[in-house]
Amino acid sequence: MLKGWKLKEIVLMSLFGVVFGIVYLLFLHIGNLWAGVIGPLAYEWMFGIWFIVSIISMYIIRKPGAALLPETLAAAIEVMLGNAVGPRLILSGIIQGLGAEAAFALTRYRHFQLGILMTAGAGAGVFSFIYGYFLSGYAALDPSFVALMFTLRVLSGAIIAGVGGKYIADSLLATGSLRGYAIAKAEKGDARA
Amino acid sequence: MRRLLHEMNPSMKFLAVTGCILALAFFFNPWTPLLFFSGVVLLQVLFSQTNWKLWSLAMLPFLIGAFGYFWTTLVFGQPGEGPVLWTIGTISITAQQWELAWSLSLRVLAFSSISLLFAFTTKPVHFIQSLMQQWKLSPKLAFSVLISYQFLPVFKTEFEQLQQAHRIRGTGAGSSPLKRLTALRRLLIPMLAGAVRKAERAAFAMEARAFTGEARSHYAEIKIGPKDYVLFCLFSLVLTLSCSAIFWA
Amino acid sequence: MPVRNPILQLDGFSFRFPESVEPTLRDISLAIHEKERVVITGPSGCGKSTLLYVLNRLYPHNCDGEVSGSVRLFGRSAQEYAPGEANRKIATVFQDPDSQFCMPTVEEELAFTLENLQVPREEMPQRIDQILHLTGLGSFRHGVIQTFSGGMKQRIATACALIMEPECLLLDEPLAHLDPLTAKEFVAWLSLLQQETGLAVVAVEHKLELWSSFFDREISLSENGAIQQDQAFTERGAPSLPKRVSAIRQEVLFEAVGISVSKASKALLQNISLPLRSGEVTVIAGPNGSGKSTLLKVLCGILKADKGTISGMRAGFVPQSPEQLFLSKSVEEELAYSGNPSPDTLHYLMKALDLKTIAHAHPFSVSHGQKRRVAIGAMLADGRQVLLLDEPTAGQDQQALAELYRQIESRAQDGCALAVVTHDMNFASSIADTVHLMKDGILSGPHQPEELFSNSALLAEYRLHMPKKGDIYAPAFA
Repeated sequence: MLKGWKLKEIVLMSLFGVVFGIVYLLFLHIGNLWAGVIGPLAYEWMFGIWFIVSIISMYIIRKPGAALLPETLAAAIEVMLGNAVGPRLILSGIIQGLGAEAAFALTRYRHFQLGILMTAGAGAGVFSFIYGYFLSGYAALDPSFVALMFTLRVLSGAIIAGVGGKYIADSLLATGSLRGYAIAKAEKGDARA
Repeated sequence: MRRLLHEMNPSMKFLAVTGCILALAFFFNPWTPLLFFSGVVLLQVLFSQTNWKLWSLAMLPFLIGAFGYFWTTLVFGQPGEGPVLWTIGTISITAQQWELAWSLSLRVLAFSSISLLFAFTTKPVHFIQSLMQQWKLSPKLAFSVLISYQFLPVFKTEFEQLQQAHRIRGTGAGSSPLKRLTALRRLLIPMLAGAVRKAERAAFAMEARAFTGEARSHYAEIKIGPKDYVLFCLFSLVLTLSCSAIFWA
Repeated sequence: MPVRNPILQLDGFSFRFPESVEPTLRDISLAIHEKERVVITGPSGCGKSTLLYVLNRLYPHNCDGEVSGSVRLFGRSAQEYAPGEANRKIATVFQDPDSQFCMPTVEEELAFTLENLQVPREEMPQRIDQILHLTGLGSFRHGVIQTFSGGMKQRIATACALIMEPECLLLDEPLAHLDPLTAKEFVAWLSLLQQETGLAVVAVEHKLELWSSFFDREISLSENGAIQQDQAFTERGAPSLPKRVSAIRQEVLFEAVGISVSKASKALLQNISLPLRSGEVTVIAGPNGSGKSTLLKVLCGILKADKGTISGMRAGFVPQSPEQLFLSKSVEEELAYSGNPSPDTLHYLMKALDLKTIAHAHPFSVSHGQKRRVAIGAMLADGRQVLLLDEPTAGQDQQALAELYRQIESRAQDGCALAVVTHDMNFASSIADTVHLMKDGILSGPHQPEELFSNSALLAEYRLHMPKKGDIYAPAFA
């Protein structure tokens, strides 16, 4: 999967994994406390937060794996920090990352417009919901309640991860620090070409 | 004895933990997760040196989360069959629902306990090295993760400095929690810009020291020995005993 | 004189980044020989680091650069080398002490290099012992790298490079993040290592005064990326700046009295009093960790004092990395962000700080000197006429220092009060009206610059060096 990646891209992806691992952990605690009061529904509308590194990383690096890997790493970092949900989280990270990756794979990694990014965010939502359905036993809940959870999660994925991810990556591009990565080249191309 | 879990091969431990979690997902009775939770804590008491104060602190959020699962399952769960235990307003709770609520919330605790066991007994560096040696994890990925991990304290310093610098610009000055949260948002872009810069420097430093991601020798060899198999069997035993609850509960 | 073999050789070499129109390096021809000590100099942006990255083969691969001409390493064309192969013979130490390590301890970090070379496991302990002995780092074997100082980290990075037993060591501004005394100690240490190992050393550097007579040869690049001169190295003093004419006025703009701060029952600042007058430039100097940055942060209100009072005008703070202050997407917005300056004030500041041409640029994307001007502008626009500058001289080349000097001079003439934290005593001796020294959270002073800078014993006590005047750095004032 990492063939054709430069080492600096792999390190960048890992560092994004670390930064967002910390962000995720912060929101995990907020979400957990919230869920204690409101129940699992509390998570649903903010679920997109946990997909965002996939979108940002893929939008910047634009190579196969750029959505799956950082999401997995962010989950792993949450685990390494010692106080997270643990290895189970790595699994959900993989599944969420696969959801986003699938959308990009369908375009053969050629298109990165807003629509595709939103689809990828929604894809992460769908995948993670199927996984959650199985693991957390949503089957036991009322179908209409489950449908509501599903809709909220997919919307959250498309909006928070898709739109939010693009916004963050574009802001980062504006700082001029992404020179030498695919996102900057797509914008400018070879200066003499 | 008290070091056994710390010395267990991290890849094997990870496999055992993941296997247990996947298996538990198939059980919807309250006894299986409860037994599993007790078994895991017992293992950790016997074979590890755990700071239990820290452990309790880490467990707390999950306890609250578990409570959330408990009552939502009661309120929003499918009514199911069986006698109605009691009725509050328009909600009537059946025996099946009651059992399910216990099961799902105890499951949260069971998952958390085994995850914490892993987190409390595994050094990140050893885990990555083991993944590289046992599971052929790409060294490029492995060392990128390790280098990222080394950056954690650097990020922390940078985070604090940014926060302080922003304070003088008048953000986050209002101490309402909402204002503080929006002030945090402003830190993200500078943090990420710093990460981009560091990524390139770190990658160059690695390549300059002849790192290619190809085959390498290992200074710290992490092996799988007999005691890893024994511990693996212990985990399986705890899992099997817990799962057998469906036959007698 | 025996004929020495060239180990690194460039012939008619040019290099262009894909995103720029003009080449960064033009028609470079040079040869580096065994055991030579060469320094590459030139104004910032002239491509000297790029040249170094070509020599260790990080470029062109890492940036998809376009090259012409030939690069020969140890007699073979650079293109013929497999990835990583050349790096065994050509090791590199980089500028940023924080971004060079991937393992927790010194021993593991050294082992990382050996693992890359596929050294058999049995041989590793011996090679690690050897290098620790050679570099004198034996007692730090199990130390956690991230807890060490910048100077220590650079020594560890050097040890990690030398354990490869290379024939050539490249240094990319290795002193940029070190204070002058630590830097000089590093150079002396490196010089002994070079004599013992017989390495060739090629360094990119602008602070030549820190290297005394370390180098044999200097290759200077011109602004357009061509070789300007290639000649024997001559030892220099620091580029010195003219003594500033004081603009001090009687009015006290800011006064701190009896400031004390402690954290976790450790006293960080003890009973510090500091008046700052209009037009006065105060320099605060002292060893790392003495509490200088903490003091500035307390004075401008970022951190709270446990005891003491602060009166007068609000103070503004410019961190070592000025971009830490930035919150908006253009220079203009950045100045207008806090304090709602009137259009006239804004117009005046944009002009006075020479920011008009970059008004719409993203504040993160401008040069370091411009960033600092934006930060100063943002503080002044917020009505903070007292400016506290944290380490503005660190890692700055001559041109940047001259610009900083002019900046401070004009702000002082405008009636601002300035406090500057710096390790650079050459700079301090030119700019300061008053000097305060700091150690272990205690501030001593005010000292008169003339007296202080001739008192070497007092300076040494605060880990500072005597200013050593070289030629007046004329070009900046021409």
